[in-house]
Amino acid sequence: MTQLIFNLFNGVIIGAFYALMALGLSLILNLSGVINFAHGGFLALGAYLAYSLMPHIGFWGALVAAPLLTGLLGIAIEWLLIRRTYGRDPLYSLLLTFGLAFIFEDVSRYIWGAQSVPYQIPALLSRPLSLSYFFITGYRVFMVALVALAVAALYLLLTRTRIGIRIRAGTHDLATVATLGVNVRLLRSVNFGLGVYLAGLAGVLAAGQLGLQPTIGTSLIMPSFVAIIVGGLGSLPGTLLGGILIGVASGITSVYFASATEAVIYVMMALVLLVRPRGLLGEEGRLQ
Amino acid sequence: MQDHPLSAAVGRRTLLKGLVLGAAAQVSAPFILKARGEEPVRIGLDNPLTGTYAALGKNERIGCEYAVEEINAKGGIIGRPVELLVEDSTSGDTGTAVQKARKLIDRDKVSVLIGNVNSAMALATGQVSNELKTLHIVPGGHTDAVTGKDCHWNVFRVCNTTEMEANAASGALITNAGKKWYYITPDYAYGHTLQAGLEKAAAKLGGTKVGGDLTPLGTTDFSAYLINAQSANPDVIIFLLAGDDAVNGLKQAVQFGLDKSFHLAGAQQELEVLEGLPPEARVGTWVFEWYWKQPDVPHVNDFVAGIRKKTGKVPTARTWFGYTAAWTYALIANQEKTLDAVKLAKALGGFKLPPEVALMPGSPFYRASDHQLIPSLFVGHAQSQGDDPEDLFHVDQVVDGTTAAPPEGETGCKMNWNI
Repeated sequence: MTQLIFNLFNGVIIGAFYALMALGLSLILNLSGVINFAHGGFLALGAYLAYSLMPHIGFWGALVAAPLLTGLLGIAIEWLLIRRTYGRDPLYSLLLTFGLAFIFEDVSRYIWGAQSVPYQIPALLSRPLSLSYFFITGYRVFMVALVALAVAALYLLLTRTRIGIRIRAGTHDLATVATLGVNVRLLRSVNFGLGVYLAGLAGVLAAGQLGLQPTIGTSLIMPSFVAIIVGGLGSLPGTLLGGILIGVASGITSVYFASATEAVIYVMMALVLLVRPRGLLGEEGRLQ
Repeated sequence: MQDHPLSAAVGRRTLLKGLVLGAAAQVSAPFILKARGEEPVRIGLDNPLTGTYAALGKNERIGCEYAVEEINAKGGIIGRPVELLVEDSTSGDTGTAVQKARKLIDRDKVSVLIGNVNSAMALATGQVSNELKTLHIVPGGHTDAVTGKDCHWNVFRVCNTTEMEANAASGALITNAGKKWYYITPDYAYGHTLQAGLEKAAAKLGGTKVGGDLTPLGTTDFSAYLINAQSANPDVIIFLLAGDDAVNGLKQAVQFGLDKSFHLAGAQQELEVLEGLPPEARVGTWVFEWYWKQPDVPHVNDFVAGIRKKTGKVPTARTWFGYTAAWTYALIANQEKTLDAVKLAKALGGFKLPPEVALMPGSPFYRASDHQLIPSLFVGHAQSQGDDPEDLFHVDQVVDGTTAAPPEGETGCKMNWNI
């Protein structure tokens, strides 16, 4: 029983992290219709930038700077490449981002090497908070807090600011938004940058507890796609819910059938697609 | 005439043509030179350069390259220069590995095939080299079958079998850490055979298994398994993870403070993994298959200095695997004065590595019955930092491979010489 509770809590912690990645993916998908396979690449890049910046500006400085730089790079890539695929068959953007994912992986291998690099987090955070609940380390609590903060900030941005309201309006009907005189090109750029910023942030956080190697993004991207599908396309609260649900599901599974912890999230996805294809909180008819 | 605009245009075109020709000459020059001299002996390396095993594959490649430089400096193979051809087998796509092996043997006419880090690829390409009657040396794929039930007359292996590692590790673990073991094992051939080997070896010494989890390859979050391990209350949590999985698992175990209440240990450990860990997570009892710090063993320091000069880093066990694989071929071909695969394979049975290639105590040799190299194994513990920033392991004991290897009758290998 205690083991079940342990794993339940743990699942929430992992789920929060999946949700952070999935939110960025979801933002881009909703407004631009681009399935960003390079998201994992941006994540890895964020982590590596933090690793390189850390000796100069410390962990906290890198935590602020690395995601920002990643976001800026995202905007540059959107401007140079991604925007050429808007309005075309989604296959184009899919192929483009798929190729970008490979390029990112090889570029990081070229610059930082194929081997894992020792990425250190402040000693303050790398300890368990209590002996009996050893899996709640300072770092994990910090991660959950930061995810909550990011979600709250994103919520405020989308509901309280002009640009956020435009992003949401564009998600529903981009043609009308454009007719009303909103600069849709700029809107998409900013939105892409925001999504990539979240990927960079997720990368800086992930490298604190995973080995940082060029493939770090590839291994984390699939659960985020699953989170979006389970939560429902087009719905950010759905994505958040989806992330936490799959985290909890794999946590509970590990008590009873440990080797299926990764498979269970795909089973969940299949179930959702069978019973409620639009996802838990998704809209009908999205991306058909 | 030079003033005429048209002739200026022609001049520019000619210049461009000249440049192109010059460039072409630059590119093709080495081939022309080679065609004039002796036809080189080609060594084909089919190993991962991308994906999960890229770091390990890269170090094996450096070892091969270094060996080829040395071999050429010492007169090549039977008087002919040696050329290393490298193909990326990928880390997980066995089909690609097989296709590259065929390309190297059929089209590039390599005399020996070296590869692979991935055990499944080592087995699959072993089948290809056997079919094409080409000598094949496996530098770093550990699963037992390569020199066990799937052994071939033409396939030799440098790294240890998982069973040898298990046997070498278990004694030290029981003495240093305790008898109740919990296993965290990757869910594929390498992990399964390694755990089976350890369970067998531990049982002989009174060790018991109190639980275990099979983790999918590429697992990023180990917390659920670590929670299970903690509640089983073992003496030792045995990590059989390799590569990135090992980095993730150990990093998280230490963040959870599990190293304070349990002994964290395992069988095989690699310098590549320890280097990827933050200093506080470099803990536990492990087996290294080769280590660069052996002050009393001749030639090791020269090798370390040479690799450091080439790459800026110390050699790892992987570097040594690649180095030994390439040198093994050169030594045996020079000894037999032939490139005939069957003759060389026969001669390699029982062949002892000379000290300048062995680079370890004892005298490693290829066992004739299963073509497995029987080296020494280094049992010790990881350390956050030694005298040298790259000294992350402390050797406590050197185990003679003959005591760690299963007896010749028990490997499952039935060598078929009907070629």
